[in-house]
Amino acid sequence: MANVADAAPAPGSSGTARPGLRGLGAATEIDLRLFGMVVALAIILVVFNLIEDGKFLRPINMVTLAVQATSVAILATGMVLIIVSRNIDLSVGSLVGFIAMIYALVMSQWMPDVLGMGSDFPFRWVIALAVGIGVGALFGAVQGFIIAYIGVPSFVVTLGGLLSIRGAVWYLSSGRTVTGLDSTFALLGGGGRGSIGGTLTWLVGAIGVVAVIVLLYNGRRQRRRFGFQLRPMWADVLLGVVGCGIILLLAWFANGNYLPPNLATQYAKEHNLAVPPGGLKISAGFPIPIILLIAVTVVMTWLATRRRFGRYVYAYGGNPDAAELAGINTRLTILKTFVLMGVLAALSAAVASARLNGATLDVGNSYELYVIAAAVVGGTSFAGGIGTIPGAVLGAFVMATLSYGLSFIGVNSPGQNVVAGLVLILAVAFDAFNRRRGGGSS
Amino acid sequence: MRIPRLASVTAVAAILLAACTSPSGSTGGSASAGGSASQGAASCTVAVSWNNFQQPRWAAADQPNIKDVVEAGGGTYMDHDANLDSEQQLTDVDTFISQGANVIIMLAQDQNAILPALQKAKDAGIPVIAYDRLIEDPDILYITFNNVGVGKAEAEALLKKVPEGNYVLIKGDPGDPNASTFLPQGWEDAGLKDAIDSGKIKVLNKDGDKWPDNYGTFTDTWSTENAQKNMEAIIDKANADGDKIDAILAENDSTAVGVAQALEGKNYGFPPLSGQDGDPTNLNNVALGKQYVDVWKNANELGKAAGQAALQLCQGKAMADITIDVDASVAPTDGNSPTDFSTPGGNTVKSLILQPTPITAENLGDVINAGWWVTKDDICQDVKAGDPGADACGV
Amino acid sequence: MAAEHDAPLLEMRNIRVAYGGVRAVDDVSIDLHAGEVVGLVGGNGAGKSTLMKTLSGAHRADSGEILVDGKVQSITNPRDAKALNIECIYQTLALADNVDAPANVFLGREMTSALGDLDDGAMEDATRKVMARLNPNFTRFTTPVMSLSGGQRQAVAIARAVYFNARIMIMDEPTAALGPAETAQVRDLVRQLKNEGIGIFLISHDIHDVFDLSDRISVMYHGRLVDTVRRDDVTADQVLGMIILGKKPDEVTSEEMAELQMGESPPAA
Repeated sequence: MANVADAAPAPGSSGTARPGLRGLGAATEIDLRLFGMVVALAIILVVFNLIEDGKFLRPINMVTLAVQATSVAILATGMVLIIVSRNIDLSVGSLVGFIAMIYALVMSQWMPDVLGMGSDFPFRWVIALAVGIGVGALFGAVQGFIIAYIGVPSFVVTLGGLLSIRGAVWYLSSGRTVTGLDSTFALLGGGGRGSIGGTLTWLVGAIGVVAVIVLLYNGRRQRRRFGFQLRPMWADVLLGVVGCGIILLLAWFANGNYLPPNLATQYAKEHNLAVPPGGLKISAGFPIPIILLIAVTVVMTWLATRRRFGRYVYAYGGNPDAAELAGINTRLTILKTFVLMGVLAALSAAVASARLNGATLDVGNSYELYVIAAAVVGGTSFAGGIGTIPGAVLGAFVMATLSYGLSFIGVNSPGQNVVAGLVLILAVAFDAFNRRRGGGSS
Repeated sequence: MRIPRLASVTAVAAILLAACTSPSGSTGGSASAGGSASQGAASCTVAVSWNNFQQPRWAAADQPNIKDVVEAGGGTYMDHDANLDSEQQLTDVDTFISQGANVIIMLAQDQNAILPALQKAKDAGIPVIAYDRLIEDPDILYITFNNVGVGKAEAEALLKKVPEGNYVLIKGDPGDPNASTFLPQGWEDAGLKDAIDSGKIKVLNKDGDKWPDNYGTFTDTWSTENAQKNMEAIIDKANADGDKIDAILAENDSTAVGVAQALEGKNYGFPPLSGQDGDPTNLNNVALGKQYVDVWKNANELGKAAGQAALQLCQGKAMADITIDVDASVAPTDGNSPTDFSTPGGNTVKSLILQPTPITAENLGDVINAGWWVTKDDICQDVKAGDPGADACGV
Repeated sequence: MAAEHDAPLLEMRNIRVAYGGVRAVDDVSIDLHAGEVVGLVGGNGAGKSTLMKTLSGAHRADSGEILVDGKVQSITNPRDAKALNIECIYQTLALADNVDAPANVFLGREMTSALGDLDDGAMEDATRKVMARLNPNFTRFTTPVMSLSGGQRQAVAIARAVYFNARIMIMDEPTAALGPAETAQVRDLVRQLKNEGIGIFLISHDIHDVFDLSDRISVMYHGRLVDTVRRDDVTADQVLGMIILGKKPDEVTSEEMAELQMGESPPAA
């Protein structure tokens, strides 16, 4: 084992045995707030399941719910960094609407009619996506520049963005609904064929398991390298087993989601399979938008915690003067957060427009509210400096679960809005209470 | 000519422009406004005050038809856009009066705020047509669509197609009386509620037994995305309960697009689905078989009716003596002359209430042939042989 | 001892800073040798902090020049200053409260792997090593610094300067927020840094700090430099006289001196 003795005095927070949940939390060093949110989400799911006599917690329903959460969750990962660095972006919903309309126009009109790129042109969807990401980054850069370098408050700049970008959507399409995306692009929305299938789902699960083990192993190696005190072995094993278990359980659960019967029959025909009398059960697995969301969450978490950019964002949020005096280029950092938000808006718009197979005038309408709510429910503080990306994604799932679940049990939109508002206030009040009581650190 | 106005600063310029470019007949006619019946339509100036011209419908359908009818009858057409500003609208009406308008057509931004302008017009002896939206005053002529009739047409079409079975009701924004009251009233008039009470029809999405409040699912802001999310949850729930969805009554087109997309995403197939507005995407969906019926308020005919009525008012006809000549598909059920209409405010006004047109694959060809504001390319996009609209599209 | 016959490590010549007509720093020249502590004193608004800000890059001088090792250097932002091994420990501490000690020590100059990922292990290790020298009792390396005591936070701020091989260190009121024991610790630290050959500007209200630690004392009054004196050549009263009256000791009349001794007692005595 490690030569604990020659390490500097043992870090106070780990190692000392404490009883109960807090002791467990200390030994495994998990984020208790995040853990609390997972538990809350689980409770909400179970309550809906009880109300619906067990008909709620089915793979097909959970897949629908997850896809419904995706657009907002993708945006929430970027909104965390914006709010952490003491800004706000109210323009995300309008930007999603604008880029969704760009996607629809590019693929249904500009490509075939102007550029002569018919539906058989290769990689149309990649080109369209690149155009959207470029537009998002450009809008983000313009807003970020005005905020960071000219010094106009982000609330004002993005409020202007909310209005003017939404207005610009009208001019793109003269108010019309535009439909007909590239069929590959449309898979980004999930839907009948937009899932990766059973085999790939298991592969994704396996990658997740390997990632958990590598992360834990690296953590131990890193601590040993510098002679820091190691986490107790039992804690690492517990984390590994629980982490891998959850990943495999999710993969198995997603594979319980089968292709719709008529699609399955079609699939059987295409692959010369015999259809058994009970109907063909072909696992659909994870929907593509969920894969996209997982990728976005991983990349954003990496940016926020493992890169200088993320460190600067948090340091600026904690103390803007300190960041400036430390020689950080704070303006560029702020500009980057908005560019990143624009790129995420393009990804979110891709999912939203793919789901609609086109774009209406009001795609992304009031997303900004749901995105900010998701970030805040996920533990992001408007005081700056505090908030995590997995927390925001969980926040988006909590909000989407309430909305989907209430729809499922037949509660109408006014009732859903009442619940969503109360949950928002409750989450923030809980944080405030916890911080006052426990000083914030666990 | 139409004079877009962005700020009151430009109002003066606009008035000058109007004065300079109007044919002399319009300014000369002001002295004899209201009393010039015997001179015929030659000196008839018809002025339209739009509350918000930004909505595509007005520019695409209503305005050109009013203008064409007025100008074909030898009259002069002018209009102003109040840009959602009630005070601007008062100024606009003042301008019309001073320019010698003989008839004013008003689409009121606010049905109370418009009353002073209405009084001024009446004092000047100028008849007023309340277009598409009611103004509470006994002396106006009210030309509009039968809004309750839209809901009735939606439900009639579906009930004929699916007289028994499981229905899903998709309503619009809970804050809009059209969504919560008028359209469901039309559904009831078509016999939906009776069919529910007799057990022939079961509504899958309801949270109580009070009609119409507890029946159906509201869609915040009438948004397509919200309708899609709600419909996905409803399909999941129906599958979980082992229910089959036989028909979907959606109040309008934006929600119907969301419903169709939810059905497509879940590969559910396409049970008969309703909508209203005649949006190109929805007419395309009718041709593709994703939507069964689209109830359309033919705004071209509404514009024609208003133009015809305005010309006849110019000639000094009493409101009750007007006769309009519109397409049979929209003709008022009570005949082509104004009838009495009791307003919610307790007034009795002369009214011409046009009928909405249900469009299914059967009469889609008529829509294409009429060359209305939806082009054949839009309606027939991706239509293949075997689709319901194949005949109409000629594939 | 300070080698005053050597070329100075740092010279600031004829520095001027004006805030909208007010001359915050008015033609001040000052120098610093390696291994020397220069106390910088003066009343509120005397211009001490502004002068030091021009050195740390937090504020630009309107005119004047800064020489390091005899060469003229341009310092327009904190990065320029850090590149010249000039480190500042601010009165406001300038720590990001929401991140841990290693993140603060390395803020703006993080250690990264070959691929540019943050190497938190290496940064924590380096911080532990520096801290072992500065404050052996410091153990909380992985909690946000907002939960640390004032002395611990000061140690983090100093660790930052020490780790990056400061040659010139500016300490703005380093003991202002500390209790007696922690103040003693910081004083020991200053002596230790001085012995390592670092030149230190010490801004302080506490005349005892200044007399205990400084080799020379520069007094400022309303933006002007009154004089720079060797610590061994003056008494605390004389320095107080310079601070309050803005005159050199030999310009002060006996009446003024007497009044001063009756009316004022040394602050923080």
